[in-house]
Amino acid sequence: MGDTAGGYRILVVDDEPDLEPLVLQRMRRSIRSGQYQFVFAQNGVEALQKLGQDDAIDMVLSDINMPQMDGLSLLEHIPEVAPDTRSVIISAYGDMKNIRAAMNRGAFDFVTKPLDFDDLRVTIERTLNNLEAWREAESSKVRLAAIENELDVASKMQQSILPTEFPETDHYDVFGSMTPAKEVGGDFFDIFSLENGNIGLAIADVSGKGVPAALFMMASRTLLKGAAIGLKDPGKVLQEVNDLLYDDNEAMMFVTVLYGVYNPETRTLTYANGGHNLPIIVHDDGSSSVIPSTNGVALGILPGGEYEQSSITCAPGDTVVFYTDGVTEAIDTEEEEFGMERLQDTFDREPEDCRKAVLSILDAVSDFAGGAPQFDDITCLALKIK
Amino acid sequence: MPIESRRDDGTLIIHTEERVDSANAQAFYQELESAIESDDRAVVMDMERLTYISSAGLRVILQTARKLQQQNAKFAICSLTGTVREVFEISGFDRVIDIHSSQADAVAAVNG
Repeated sequence: MGDTAGGYRILVVDDEPDLEPLVLQRMRRSIRSGQYQFVFAQNGVEALQKLGQDDAIDMVLSDINMPQMDGLSLLEHIPEVAPDTRSVIISAYGDMKNIRAAMNRGAFDFVTKPLDFDDLRVTIERTLNNLEAWREAESSKVRLAAIENELDVASKMQQSILPTEFPETDHYDVFGSMTPAKEVGGDFFDIFSLENGNIGLAIADVSGKGVPAALFMMASRTLLKGAAIGLKDPGKVLQEVNDLLYDDNEAMMFVTVLYGVYNPETRTLTYANGGHNLPIIVHDDGSSSVIPSTNGVALGILPGGEYEQSSITCAPGDTVVFYTDGVTEAIDTEEEEFGMERLQDTFDREPEDCRKAVLSILDAVSDFAGGAPQFDDITCLALKIK
Repeated sequence: MPIESRRDDGTLIIHTEERVDSANAQAFYQELESAIESDDRAVVMDMERLTYISSAGLRVILQTARKLQQQNAKFAICSLTGTVREVFEISGFDRVIDIHSSQADAVAAVNG
């Protein structure tokens, strides 16, 4: 950030003249408080000129289709003039081809048209948090040994993609938590608002560690979000993400993902599984069951893989708990695993809300582990039906 | 991560031990690299003595399978115990890697 007093500078690139007054109007509070400044360009050429002249620009928000130089070409040129800048693209709803192309050219994230300003605000915040993490890591590079620094960067990147706000409605609430292992693991979770009041919930575990795994994680998360808003069926979403991740996956990284769409009107959860642990449902008497399994391999390794999907209907009072193997495979000082049974035994009655449900699991794991070291990230995401 | 390997009538048989987790996955990979020769055409990994494998370990198995595929070698694993078998089933790796219940079956498969 070149100019601390003026907040973060964001360059908005679009040939549509209506966007400038709209951004200035909808973001006026953040502008007035000094949090953000906006500058505008009409196409890629003008954007590069501005980036060349103004080294205080922190972030670029660009449309894809523009005359003279489009958004994808712009992305290719940004590192030449402003390497320390994060880019977010504006794409058509569900346009995975362009989103994937933009990701390959180094875009950090995307938003879709028509612009939802609440989503845009969250995306800007996430992008700038990620940028700050990089800057911090960069500045501490001298002090740290290379490997420590790499793990530090990876861990901050991981933290920056997790949701920080959780939806709460009259019909359901959601809460998630990720406790990182000392040596970075690769867990993440995400929550998306979908059409017709539906909500998308994802939990995932990326293999490997360090910056390559963190980059694979970012790609997984962004592709999942793109596919989730473009495609309705969870099975199709995982199939699409799997195919996209498989391309150029020489390092043989993979990610296990459980993705579900909850429809509050019918109280149904439709889900597909890419090699992940199956969620449990805790009922209103504290008893619990594992949701039925569906076929599907971890994402990124099997081209053309298909993902079966299934649906369950929830009752009011049910809590669906998604988790990663960091929970069930946590060990105590005798190297015994926490296991499914202890997970299900955590509840002897209905959890009050999903924050409490998640926290009681984390407490149970931590009590069980005693002083034993934590080898893997411990992640839980819960959905409670009211 | 100690591994033991021997060649039996043209088949390389590798025994894996104890645990493979993110802490020793890289060492495991390097040991496999040095155990496998570029002219090996049949490789079996026996997991009878393996008690735990993490996703980092699965990735090593996958990298090994890919490498062997590139050198036109057949690869199978066998004798998975409880927890390890579960990890392969949950992740769907049992549909990507050729798995057999006994070493004899695996050896027959890679020589078939």
